[in-house]
Amino acid sequence: MAKIIVVTSGKGGVGKTTTSASFATGLAMRGHKTAVIDFDVGLRNLDLIMGVERRVVFDFVNVINGEATLKQALIKDKHLDKLHILAASQTRDKDALTTEGVEKVLNDLAQDFDFIVCDSPAGIERGAFLAMYFADEALVVTNPEVSSVRDSDRVLGILSSKARLAEKGETKVKEHLVLTRYNPARVAKGEMLSLEDVKEILAIPLLGVVPESSSVLTCSNSGVPVIREEGSDAGLAYQDLVARFLGDEVPHRFITEQKKGLFSKLFGAT
Amino acid sequence: MTRSRTALEIKGRMLSITRVRVLDADTAAIRAHLEQLAKQMPQAVKGMAVVIDSEFDADLPALLEAMRGVGMQPLAVSDGPLAASAKGLGLAVVSKDSGKTGNAAPEPAKTPPPQVASAAAASQRRPARIIAEPVRSGQQIYAEHGDLVLLNTVSPGAEVIADGCVHVYGKLAGRAIAGARGDETARIFCRKMEAELVAIAGIYAVSEQMKDSPRGAAAMAYLEQGRLRIEPHKI
Ligand SMILES: Nc1ncnc2c1ncn2[C@@H]1O[C@H](COP(=O)(O)OP(=O)(O)O)[C@@H](O)[C@H]1O
Ligand SMILES: [Mg+2]
Repeated sequence: MAKIIVVTSGKGGVGKTTTSASFATGLAMRGHKTAVIDFDVGLRNLDLIMGVERRVVFDFVNVINGEATLKQALIKDKHLDKLHILAASQTRDKDALTTEGVEKVLNDLAQDFDFIVCDSPAGIERGAFLAMYFADEALVVTNPEVSSVRDSDRVLGILSSKARLAEKGETKVKEHLVLTRYNPARVAKGEMLSLEDVKEILAIPLLGVVPESSSVLTCSNSGVPVIREEGSDAGLAYQDLVARFLGDEVPHRFITEQKKGLFSKLFGAT
Repeated sequence: MTRSRTALEIKGRMLSITRVRVLDADTAAIRAHLEQLAKQMPQAVKGMAVVIDSEFDADLPALLEAMRGVGMQPLAVSDGPLAASAKGLGLAVVSKDSGKTGNAAPEPAKTPPPQVASAAAASQRRPARIIAEPVRSGQQIYAEHGDLVLLNTVSPGAEVIADGCVHVYGKLAGRAIAGARGDETARIFCRKMEAELVAIAGIYAVSEQMKDSPRGAAAMAYLEQGRLRIEPHKI
């Protein structure tokens, strides 16, 4: 049975899709059969960042509506045979997702896969709710700013009260904090919340800190998840994050300001 | 023919009634205040049984409409200038000091107009409601007829409400409302005070008004002669 992981945040533009793409890719790189699903019906972003947008024939909604089989709609990654992508429909409206439909797709996928990563849309409405409803674990993506943290807090409240596991009352969704677009220099100047501030407010375990990095944009423009980019600090941060998720003990880095020129320090642990 | 059953059974059960004193005859001001109150503690206001108390002749039909509009249930007026119009409207008239808790403190001059004043005898207390999880933004927790104990943090945008006291063992960064049905002896305790709003028996302060109070430290909020005090909690 696959483990279902939702990548969620409440707020838009914080790095959910970037994180979903790199996280799913990282799990596959470590040998786990992984499917990543775009729940952002109407916008369709994940396939672009994963570099498969020109191979989308059928999408998530087609499968839910019985217009295509899961096998037809799953796109196999060109580089990693353990990685599969289920794209969102660009043309449908948000009501195309139904609870029963999503549940059936997830159940079918769970037969074959180790991990199912659900890339949530922004907000707390239907699409976002369905992305998190069936989750076993959640990556809560947050930027170091007050509004983002507030929205993440809101999402954590929904996860702990309305997700399927919470409704059943046996266990709860395992929560992980992912702090992205972190800029230690701006934190030092007091322009952004610090890691400690965010940890204190949200009070959930930290999975990883991803620095603000220009390589994220260049990578997504060329359709390569940043985790595959050698030497990118954001890519390294995502590799660490995946390793931690799989149980490795990896120290956090990129959380303090780096002095220019100290190359060794950049790659050393902090 | 004998009837084995009586038509009525008289029970001595006490009902909790909140006394609302009118301090300003301006209907618009009253309505604004009620709406604010309903926003702050919707659960408490909804269905709240109310006795209206006024020293002067207010526009009773407008007052009733405003109260019912936010979900309150006005049952009666205190004997006084409103008595005549109350009878015409089918409301009960109760004696001036029925249902007051102890000797009512003289009306504080500083508190905003029409406020929810002292409650009627508190109905039977329930055991405290204990919440171990953090209370997150957008969540609301209400402990009816009792104390609310929060073992974790209360986030900004979260709301915790009790008819009794509110105890927060983590940081209080959201809104806390104690004595939601008018118990003026209710208090709020927290290990780290960063509240957006605290209210006791309808008397409230928002964070902007708490500049002189302890921030980020252990604190206690309570009413003293009808005035809200927030003080460092020292042992
Ligand atoms: N670590 C980062 N450094 C710099 N830019 C980033 C980073 N993470 C995401 N971005 C940029 O932020 C924008 C929004 O990211 P995206 O992953 O689409 O967010 P979401 O899915 O939460 O809406 C994109 O332009 C992306 O390139
Ligand atoms: Mg997205």
